[in-house]
Amino acid sequence: MTRRVLACVAGVLAVLAAFAGSPYRNDRAGIDVAALAEEVTRETDHVTALELAQWIRDRKPGLRVLDLRDSLSYAEYRIPRAEQISMSDLVSRRFPSNETLVLISDGGAHAAQGWVFLRARGHRQVYFLRGGLGEWIDEVINPAKPSDLTRYFGGMPRMGEPSGMEVGEESAVTRAQALRRRGC
Amino acid sequence: MMPVAPFFELGAFGAFGSQVAAVAIGIAFGVALERAGLGHAPKLAAQFYATDFTVLKVMLSAIVTAMLGVFWLARLDVLDLTLVAVPETWVLPQLVGGLLFGAGFVVSGLCPGTACVSAATGRGDGAAAVLGFFVGILIAGLAFESLRSFYDSTARGVWTLDQWSGLSYGVVVAGVVAMALLAFVVAERVEARA
Repeated sequence: MTRRVLACVAGVLAVLAAFAGSPYRNDRAGIDVAALAEEVTRETDHVTALELAQWIRDRKPGLRVLDLRDSLSYAEYRIPRAEQISMSDLVSRRFPSNETLVLISDGGAHAAQGWVFLRARGHRQVYFLRGGLGEWIDEVINPAKPSDLTRYFGGMPRMGEPSGMEVGEESAVTRAQALRRRGC
Repeated sequence: MMPVAPFFELGAFGAFGSQVAAVAIGIAFGVALERAGLGHAPKLAAQFYATDFTVLKVMLSAIVTAMLGVFWLARLDVLDLTLVAVPETWVLPQLVGGLLFGAGFVVSGLCPGTACVSAATGRGDGAAAVLGFFVGILIAGLAFESLRSFYDSTARGVWTLDQWSGLSYGVVVAGVVAMALLAFVVAERVEARA
């Protein structure tokens, strides 16, 4: 008798589950366009290259850097700790709510579009690198004014050649300098 | 309502608290297996002779309970499902591993959990099975470099039934529960004939 009652309870809960909608909070969050616009206005939608560098160096808990460029560009040069992901994977994957996501693309436009998609899916801790990889190279790898932070990532002053490098040795600077800003 | 679980991820338990909880749950799991008679190899082996489906029923009960619990706790915003770890899928290695696991189950009449329970209650066959696990783990570890390419093959990342089927999470829950309830009915009828 008890087993039948338990089976009935399980059956009822299962049937209700089929119509209950998604168990993920994010999927049930509506798109608040006004709130998104407010974030854009307050410029809390993006990070600068130096802010991102600080987060990476400080090992900010839950930080996840997602590179939206293609595999070839990613293999050529990548920001430390960045993982490559396609736009279609970005919008279909579920990210833990305690992760801080930073999106990167070549120029920043694709990353900004990815930001909209993820915010529309209810992810709160999402940012994009405002000027894309170009900004990272200009501000961190090849800065006009080096700092301890830029040196941490192997950054060299913008003017002059890097010194103290052996022949054939390739640094972050040379790899990054070889890159040109491409597309979005 | 803000989720309060998973407790460790949301800071309700520290590292020590979560370890204490894990030990307590592990002991409770072992006690439940023993009370269900699953530390006795002939009872488990009876499943393969279609005379006693206790193992199947225990496993399906656990799956249905956990599945409904996780779904509804998440749906009611008690549990943040994005913070629940889901093991990744490697299709071929896990298929081969499953076959190996099944073969070991048939030969010994025990699976890892029940072997530990069996050994803890002083049974020699359980102790032999536990020893076998460690020898197998050691051999697999030593041979890992030659197994690595196979081990890493057909990786699908986190791949759940709703992603695979394209159905909604709730429909998958309903389907699995329906399948489990049907299996219960069939198992009971087969047992009654045996």
